[in-house]
Amino acid sequence: MIRYEIGIVETRNVIKTILDTYGYDFRDYALTSFKRRLEHVIMNNGFKDADGLIDRLTNNKEYFDNFLCDITPETTEMFRDPSLWRTIRDEIIHDITKGSTKTKLWIAAFDSGEELFSLAVLLKEAGLLSEVQLYASVISEKTINKIKSGRIDARELEVNDANYVRFNGKYNFSDYYKIENGQAIFDTSLIQGVNFIKLNTVYDNVPGGIKLALFRNQIIYYNQILQDKVLNQLSNSVVPGGYMVLGVKETLENTGVSNRFTLYNDLEKIYKKKTT
Amino acid sequence: MYYKAVIIGGSAGSFQVITRILHSLPPTFPLPVLLSLHRLKHIRSGFVEALSIKASIPIVEPFDKDQIKPGRAYLAPANYHMFIELGNKIALSTEEPVNHSRPSIDLSFATAAQVYREKLIGIILSGANRDGAYGLKKIKDLGGLAIVQDPAECQVKTMTEASLKLTKADHVFSTQEIIKFLQNIKSTAP
Repeated sequence: MIRYEIGIVETRNVIKTILDTYGYDFRDYALTSFKRRLEHVIMNNGFKDADGLIDRLTNNKEYFDNFLCDITPETTEMFRDPSLWRTIRDEIIHDITKGSTKTKLWIAAFDSGEELFSLAVLLKEAGLLSEVQLYASVISEKTINKIKSGRIDARELEVNDANYVRFNGKYNFSDYYKIENGQAIFDTSLIQGVNFIKLNTVYDNVPGGIKLALFRNQIIYYNQILQDKVLNQLSNSVVPGGYMVLGVKETLENTGVSNRFTLYNDLEKIYKKKTT
Repeated sequence: MYYKAVIIGGSAGSFQVITRILHSLPPTFPLPVLLSLHRLKHIRSGFVEALSIKASIPIVEPFDKDQIKPGRAYLAPANYHMFIELGNKIALSTEEPVNHSRPSIDLSFATAAQVYREKLIGIILSGANRDGAYGLKKIKDLGGLAIVQDPAECQVKTMTEASLKLTKADHVFSTQEIIKFLQNIKSTAP
């Protein structure tokens, strides 16, 4: 694994270029992982170095959407943490859809499609897919198009399949996709009604009235300042009694919104918003 | 020479070695011990408990942004990469696997090397793939101390041999020698 590496000064230069040119603010992303993502972008696009990337960002506005797509880590797995998905199916989904129409559910993290399709499959198997309104946060048009085409990078189909089996799904995982030219294409009817919301890095335009927000493994890419800022936005969008889910190694402890939630399930990091 | 941290990478065949090392460290061990070990990704619990049975220092699976403290061991959680971040903190990541591994030893070692530089001890143990070889080189290149378990003693030699091929290690040690070396580390700070 010999790879190209950039320094902290170069990382900050790229961040400044993006802020000055496009108004997207990456200054409060966690440094180590953001630096790694930049190295990944530089290598995969054949840029000579950080200056090469800065040149492209400055002189080619169309490239920026591509950059936003590539800088965001992929989710890489469907039904990651199957026990979480079982808990949502067995304990939460009927509770939040009961007696209401078009319950709003939100894949709040910048997902590459895996979380969205997992939730859609869960809803379909519960007979609730047409009863809810799904929202999905995206940072780039490229990601929206990719998800809408069903061509999500399921490089490791056997991992997804094993997760689905542990989720105890009703059918075979392979019922949800077909293979065309070696590429898995997922059943796009699952995501037909999804409302894609394009957001920038600070989440300043979020939907309201949300009963379940999945925000897994995203604050790991933030520093504490951005973590508090974005969690505050999410907290405002979730209704009292609604749920917010973090990654299993993320916590609301020591964040600015910890007093607005109770811990509903510690192992899966499911939080429930207080009613007062 | 004083050090700020020890980082240990291992895979197949390393469990017993790690257990012996953690068992023999004094409870007053003055450094944090960072453990980047390959493990089953879908089994989240049990590993830290198994390692803790005989360990003389507390072992935790850290949360993202946990502060790293001396005298504790930090085990990379299942299905996450574990980075060391400036400010002496843990940073976790779900980025794609590296060397088919998440956690990747290379990533833990390389990020720890950036933060601790010459004040880091890196140790590669038995393992069945090449993950860790690049990370150990990174530690050595930035002035840290590179230790490799003697391949002759390893249940699976691939990882240690790959490491020795890429890096001129400071020490090639048996498990007993690794233990002795660590026990002799007295304190961190001047």
